[in-house]
Amino acid sequence: MKILICDDSMFVRKKMKDAIKAVDPSIEMLEAANGRQAVEKYKSEKPDLVFMDIIMPEESGVDALSEIMNTDKNAKVVMASSVGTQENLKQAILMGAYDFLQKPIENADVARIIAKASE
Amino acid sequence: MFTQFFGNYLLRKQLVTAEQLSEAFKTQKGTRMKLGVLAINAGLMTAEQVEKAHIEQQRADKRIGEVMVDMGYLTKDQVEDLFKTQPAGHLLLGQTLVDKGYMTNAEFEKAINAYKAEASLSDPEIKNTDEASVRKLINNFYNFSSRGGSVYMTNYVSLLFKNLIRFIGDDFVPMSPCSANSSIKNVIMQDISGGMNMTSLVYAEKTALIEFASRFAKEELTEDDEYTQACVSEFINLHNGLFAVNISNDTGMELQLEPQCYYDEMDMIGLSRACVLPINYSFGTINFVVQI
Repeated sequence: MKILICDDSMFVRKKMKDAIKAVDPSIEMLEAANGRQAVEKYKSEKPDLVFMDIIMPEESGVDALSEIMNTDKNAKVVMASSVGTQENLKQAILMGAYDFLQKPIENADVARIIAKASE
Repeated sequence: MFTQFFGNYLLRKQLVTAEQLSEAFKTQKGTRMKLGVLAINAGLMTAEQVEKAHIEQQRADKRIGEVMVDMGYLTKDQVEDLFKTQPAGHLLLGQTLVDKGYMTNAEFEKAINAYKAEASLSDPEIKNTDEASVRKLINNFYNFSSRGGSVYMTNYVSLLFKNLIRFIGDDFVPMSPCSANSSIKNVIMQDISGGMNMTSLVYAEKTALIEFASRFAKEELTEDDEYTQACVSEFINLHNGLFAVNISNDTGMELQLEPQCYYDEMDMIGLSRACVLPINYSFGTINFVVQI
């Protein structure tokens, strides 16, 4: 399995990597620090799952989600944000997001999403 | 949360030093509550009566509870009830200060009663620490009603305290708020827009930021580097995000967060209405700045 982690915070990327490693150390991980990088990596690496932050400089997670879904309508992109309002959740799902991850990241939530994506 | 404000009261009235308070916060987890402090807090005994009971205990070689009952200060039921009750945080702090010899029982009695009167809080309000009591404590202390956006400020700071306790630790004391002036160093800023415009900042000495980041990340960090800044940035992002969720749930107002920025130094021009909220931890002062 190959997972792309996109967050402008190197701290969040590290925590996410730790959480994924705890589920399965053999999972291949890729990183991106903004939406633009995420779209490029998605196109070149075709990951099985993407964890995408919403608030990022250069290109937001929402814009990147839109671009990725236009490229691959079966893409599994999980939006991650500290702002888990009903409005954001609704918007993400309407745009085709696979799931929504409320920050702070809990390992159990990451494990649940990976299990779902592996089915 | 009463504990943190009580800590501020003790400092403000110069009843303990910052070092003593910090030491008490560090060691209070191992403190065993004693009947005297519990009885004083409950208003069942005076410090003088507690002292008399202790003297009598040495002579009679009995348990302190039995001595207090024999002397007619407490009933057996009251002793049982006092021991059964889970002590509130401020009592643990008070007991630690007494145990360490930083305060006497009499000084603690005077301080706790004076502070309860100053904060206009009843015992149930202190014990319950429900939302209304927390808001009352915060409003009394910060006097937000004299500022614009007071309801939001109270919500913001109430949540900030909860998040500090949850992610960093409860061993802090809020210090008096001040206005923004001059330039500040080591700053992380996040703007909030949408239904209202807000600016939030956090700044501190580098050593304090490193320790703050270490606690948040649950990692031993020693360098003031990009990773440390990312940890502190994520705390403020998380806090602001949870604030936005609360506002959305309570009022339907949607807020958007902007990406956080780090500045080695910045001028506070443009933040004339901002409120600086210094928070003293044992490792240093973390300053939160909010402008609505």
